[in-house]
Amino acid sequence: MKSSIMKYSNSFMTVVMLAVFVVLVGLASGYPPGARFMPFVIGIPAIALCLLQLALDARERRRGETEVSDTRSELEKVEEKVARVAGRRVDFQISHEFMQGVGPKFSPEEMVRRETVLWGYFVGFIAGIMVFGFWVAIPVFLVAFLRFQAKSSWLFALGLGMGASLLMYFGFARGLGVVLHTGFITDYVLDLLG
Amino acid sequence: MIDIMFSSLFAMLSSPHIMGLMLLGVFLGLIVGVTPGIGGRLSIALAIPFVFGMDMVGGAVFLLTMHAVNGTSGQISSIMFGVPGDGDDAATVLDGYPMAKKGEAGRALGASITASGVGGIIGAIVFAIMIPIIEPVVLAFSPAEFFLLALLGITFIAFISGRGNIFKGIIVGFYGMILATVGMDPQTGTARFAGDYLFLWDGLSLVTAVLALFAVPEMIALGVKGGSIAAVSLEGTRYSYRQLLEGVMEVPRHWWLVVRTSIIGAVIGMIPGLGSSAASWFCYGHAVQTSKTPERFGKGAVEGVIAPETGSNSREGGSLLPTLFFGIPGSSGFAVLMGAFLILGIQPGPKMITEQLPLVWTLIWALVVGNLIAVIFLLFICRWVAMLTFINGAMIVPFIVVLVAVGSYINEGRWENLLILVGLSAIGYGLLRAGWPRAPFVIGLVLGGIAEKSLHTALALWGLDFFLRPLSLVLIGLIVATIGFAVYKSMRPSKALEESGVVP
Repeated sequence: MKSSIMKYSNSFMTVVMLAVFVVLVGLASGYPPGARFMPFVIGIPAIALCLLQLALDARERRRGETEVSDTRSELEKVEEKVARVAGRRVDFQISHEFMQGVGPKFSPEEMVRRETVLWGYFVGFIAGIMVFGFWVAIPVFLVAFLRFQAKSSWLFALGLGMGASLLMYFGFARGLGVVLHTGFITDYVLDLLG
Repeated sequence: MIDIMFSSLFAMLSSPHIMGLMLLGVFLGLIVGVTPGIGGRLSIALAIPFVFGMDMVGGAVFLLTMHAVNGTSGQISSIMFGVPGDGDDAATVLDGYPMAKKGEAGRALGASITASGVGGIIGAIVFAIMIPIIEPVVLAFSPAEFFLLALLGITFIAFISGRGNIFKGIIVGFYGMILATVGMDPQTGTARFAGDYLFLWDGLSLVTAVLALFAVPEMIALGVKGGSIAAVSLEGTRYSYRQLLEGVMEVPRHWWLVVRTSIIGAVIGMIPGLGSSAASWFCYGHAVQTSKTPERFGKGAVEGVIAPETGSNSREGGSLLPTLFFGIPGSSGFAVLMGAFLILGIQPGPKMITEQLPLVWTLIWALVVGNLIAVIFLLFICRWVAMLTFINGAMIVPFIVVLVAVGSYINEGRWENLLILVGLSAIGYGLLRAGWPRAPFVIGLVLGGIAEKSLHTALALWGLDFFLRPLSLVLIGLIVATIGFAVYKSMRPSKALEESGVVP
């Protein structure tokens, strides 16, 4: 399941890249010769490479089940790597689990759910900055993320989130004199409030 | 050259500004090296907005030291908990963790930290020795060859990071290059791909693009993964300073191995295309090969800790050579570092020897002094630094995302860059999810403008004969050979698979 998702996301990326290059080359064709030269020099070979990659992806999918996959463990790969240089095999004491890496493994559905949530936070944060400005969006985002995503207690999330926001405010705005975006409606609301 | 060499050292040591930035770089580099989810590439990408507008020398010293000491602290979790920080540290686990399990964590840490520092210093010395040797080759390149050098850089990085498929890397590199053409065309004054959006007339923000392709996808991935590595045993964290000192003394005791593996690492670093972890694996294998008692390896041999660490850190000095003199980064981390250098106004190529030699020497000294500081610092605080390994990944994510948004905004002060950040981050995450390399994008983006200018100059000077000049033919030959080798390698099954009978 995971490998088929990987294969399709591979082709999906190739299609995205192909679309980007086709659009850019198409747009460039309307420019004067000097201006379209470089986009053509880069874009046309890139389109050819994307088509080649699509063909390779299709070939890989067709081979599908008959394909020979490398099922060796990480430790076996390491043993081979060392043996190739050293000319002899080393008997490692370290367990297979450690070489596979420590960390949770999720089902593809759970991965997509988690990714959607994370993207929601990110896009929401950027939208918050645009509408309400950095100094409103930062503490709200930090506290919300720490409380609901990192599962911290309210006290910890509020303390760390507000503390970090204040630190950033005094560091950037007061200390370095950096002027950050104040948001499309924050100034308007503040004006209304007098 | 001798006077430039020592005047650069004196200027660096006598400048509180540069030394302060170096200390900050060392401190941050050590912290991010051991923090889960933040590697060398990401830390450089995050630091770029904050060095924007900084003086060239200060910014470069800060970024280089931060990048160079990253691996020195990365090994701590490999030894103490058996969890490698990144690919470079994987070889250190093989003997470091068994040593910790035998109650020799302090000895392993002392040896690896010192070996890493000494390796970094020897790598810088090897680079310095190579300057007069490489000088005639570097000076043979004219600015007009930069177009082909940029293509060669993308090809090498695509080869390193393409995981068996070089075409994906080249496509990503071309994607960066074509995005570099966004904005006002210097030849005709046409606003390319910018429409009526004035903020695009100056081109795409490099800082935003680098953050979008590296920082945001890594943070989303870290957030998705979540959790800390609290499941591992804390047994390895118990050691005495006496043990640590014993480990430090292992380095002079194995001085010949240290010198050999440092030189091997530096030379591997100089050859783009060998990959970032090649040095540590090769040096580990070399230590096994040359040992009189190879049966001890894999069970806690101190040489198995020293060799990969010296090799891995000396590679940093070696990688600086192709990065600074040819604009071809030796690893994906150096690709991001090179992007940062270009943003600071450091132009790789022959001018680094003819006009910027003091800067080159400052960077070499920064590697030497930065590594020394890192070793001293780390020997005292590694026990506490190790605890950073247990930070829950989900706790880091929001702070990095905030830094990314601030960084993307402050370098041009335009809110529109935040929209670009979201759009390019989606592509960056798509690349990460599909296993496509992202490092070639930076090379394409940062070198795109220079490559275009150089192509126009070359065609104006020599017409299409430019491609038939001897140096151009060499570069074209290298590009074709790299692609050919990559295709051959991907089509041929590995020897191990053949031997195991999986492949007939």
